[in-house]
Amino acid sequence: MSDENLTPEAPVTGQGRMDVAWGANTGDEHPDEVQRASTPQSGEIFEQLYTPWTGQLNPRWMRNWSILRHHLLGIFKKGHRPWTMPTRIFILIAFLASLSDAGMTLLSGLVGSSEFHSLFGVSRDNLYGHVLGFFPRNVLYYPIVAALLVGGVISEDRQHGTSALYFSRPISRFDYVGMKFLSVAMIQALVVLITYVLYFLAEVVAFGRGWAWMVDIFPMFLAGMIAGLLLIFTYTSIGLSLSSVSTGRFFPGIGLLAIVFGTKTLASIVKNLFEREILYLISPYDCVAHVGQALIGTQTTYDQYSWTYSLVALVAMNALALYVLASRVASMEVTRE
Amino acid sequence: MADEPIIQTKSLTKAYGPHVALENLNINIPRGATGLLGQNGAGKSTFLKTILGLIQATSGEGTVLGYDIRNQGVEIRQRIGYMPEYDALNPDMDAIHQVRYSGELLGMNPVVAMNRAHEALQFVGMGEQRYREIGSFSTGMKQATKLACAIIHDPDLLIADEPSNGLDMKAREFMISTLNTMVNDANRSILMASHLMDDVERVCENIILLHKGTLAAQGKIEDLKAIDREIEIHVWGGATPLEQRLLDQGFRVRREGRVMRIAHTREDTTTSILQAAADVGAQIRRMHEYEASLEDLFLAIMDNLGYSVKSSDDLLKSPIEARRVDAPESLGGGAA
Repeated sequence: MSDENLTPEAPVTGQGRMDVAWGANTGDEHPDEVQRASTPQSGEIFEQLYTPWTGQLNPRWMRNWSILRHHLLGIFKKGHRPWTMPTRIFILIAFLASLSDAGMTLLSGLVGSSEFHSLFGVSRDNLYGHVLGFFPRNVLYYPIVAALLVGGVISEDRQHGTSALYFSRPISRFDYVGMKFLSVAMIQALVVLITYVLYFLAEVVAFGRGWAWMVDIFPMFLAGMIAGLLLIFTYTSIGLSLSSVSTGRFFPGIGLLAIVFGTKTLASIVKNLFEREILYLISPYDCVAHVGQALIGTQTTYDQYSWTYSLVALVAMNALALYVLASRVASMEVTRE
Repeated sequence: MADEPIIQTKSLTKAYGPHVALENLNINIPRGATGLLGQNGAGKSTFLKTILGLIQATSGEGTVLGYDIRNQGVEIRQRIGYMPEYDALNPDMDAIHQVRYSGELLGMNPVVAMNRAHEALQFVGMGEQRYREIGSFSTGMKQATKLACAIIHDPDLLIADEPSNGLDMKAREFMISTLNTMVNDANRSILMASHLMDDVERVCENIILLHKGTLAAQGKIEDLKAIDREIEIHVWGGATPLEQRLLDQGFRVRREGRVMRIAHTREDTTTSILQAAADVGAQIRRMHEYEASLEDLFLAIMDNLGYSVKSSDDLLKSPIEARRVDAPESLGGGAA
């Protein structure tokens, strides 16, 4: 803009406004430069394209397998159910600690001491002890593993609303709860039963046991396996029922521990004070232990009533837990939670 | 086949004990986008659960995509995509794995599910964010992830419950345009439940309005609007006498200050308005046919049902009042 245009006598042309609107340059630029400035190169940063899919969906077993896989693989790697790091670490610790008798058996085989072997090697009492021994396994390992696992399995679906993700898909409530139950039970089985099998194999390897020994011991081994399954089933059903009535992972975990240890402690106090054992029937651990003692054939530590009472109590407490679990899962919503 | 309704119900009734949640619903939802409207407690959720085959109807029948809602719930849920209103994502998972898992739950094998998860997340505008934990997402990103979960298997029908709820303007625009792309470009059908009338109007061609478990209105939005045509006038001076004169002549008049809307129900409505204005000495400075919005339509229908409300928010966003309306009288309900 030339200086004479700024004098008061200059005509009003609107040029000033145009300069403000379009810039303060002189207008003598190269035409190409102007062209580049006014229309920038267009590029596609995001192109929204809907891609159809014509694949086939697999049947029910594949959907159920995906739930199981999601929970099981979550223990080992990312991208599946995000189990918390303390849970993973504790499972590893419990797994290694549960292998202590296998390690001692291998050691006794190497040392060649029969006294050492009688303490730690495979026997009726030691098979019972691996699965149902109270200290340390059912104080420090198995109930805590169960508590860490069941804590958020169902409650977090309520908390985060992820139940809608399941039930708006062709997943039935039975399949949902069944696969959750199975996955929690399988992770516990990794700690309780896989280590039990490894213990048995350690004896075979360390002492070169033959088929005759294996066939001889097998009924005991199988009884221990069944006792372990009972223990896992009981902890899982009680834990999941607590998880189904909660919206956080703390209450179900602490609730399971409170039930397992609270009932046991109460029954122990009553026994010590009044010499009455009947209260052990409300303790899940003691009921499983009593039935397990009968199954494996080791000496019973409950003298005042038959193991069948414990079995009935065990069935009753599992039935109650499964009833609560089923009714609470049936009430889980799709449209809102 | 293309003209067949994707959702059809005949005399569908669902009762919870003495409380009737859905009463004798006869609904035909054509292909395309349909809005599901109704106040809280009107039966929208019950309707959705019924057509998903999650709860059994007390009586009546219905089909979704040709499958019977009474005994083919699994087939229905395999072929529809459901985007819930509330949070339905695990905050500790990253988006890509969450969407993949939702595909696996439908029966996809993990490799296919992962490929489709990438495609679905790309479609909903999730770039590198797909590798982030959902807990760190904004509301818009969570909604987009929920949408990706719902469309991973390329469903014929998407049921979207409040898809734009709680979104900022930009995210809301994107969600609306994404839903429009699904309907217009991908030729998919959407059943969209929403409180936001504008959004429903921008996406949907048809609406269904439920009220206290009964069907209050259904059809094309344009057709329904035509039922309630109005002429809007801007009056200068003498608005009150003009309003009174028009009311005396039997017109239905809505007035807000100098702006009046007169129901266009007669051939001579325009002439009568001008004559009335001349008679009372009022100036009409502007006169045109008023194009009703979905909000107006909703209010007109609610008005016909006997409710005096100023906006849809009064009914749709007031859960306590709305519940009072729909709750059984024994529970303190029954009053608007």
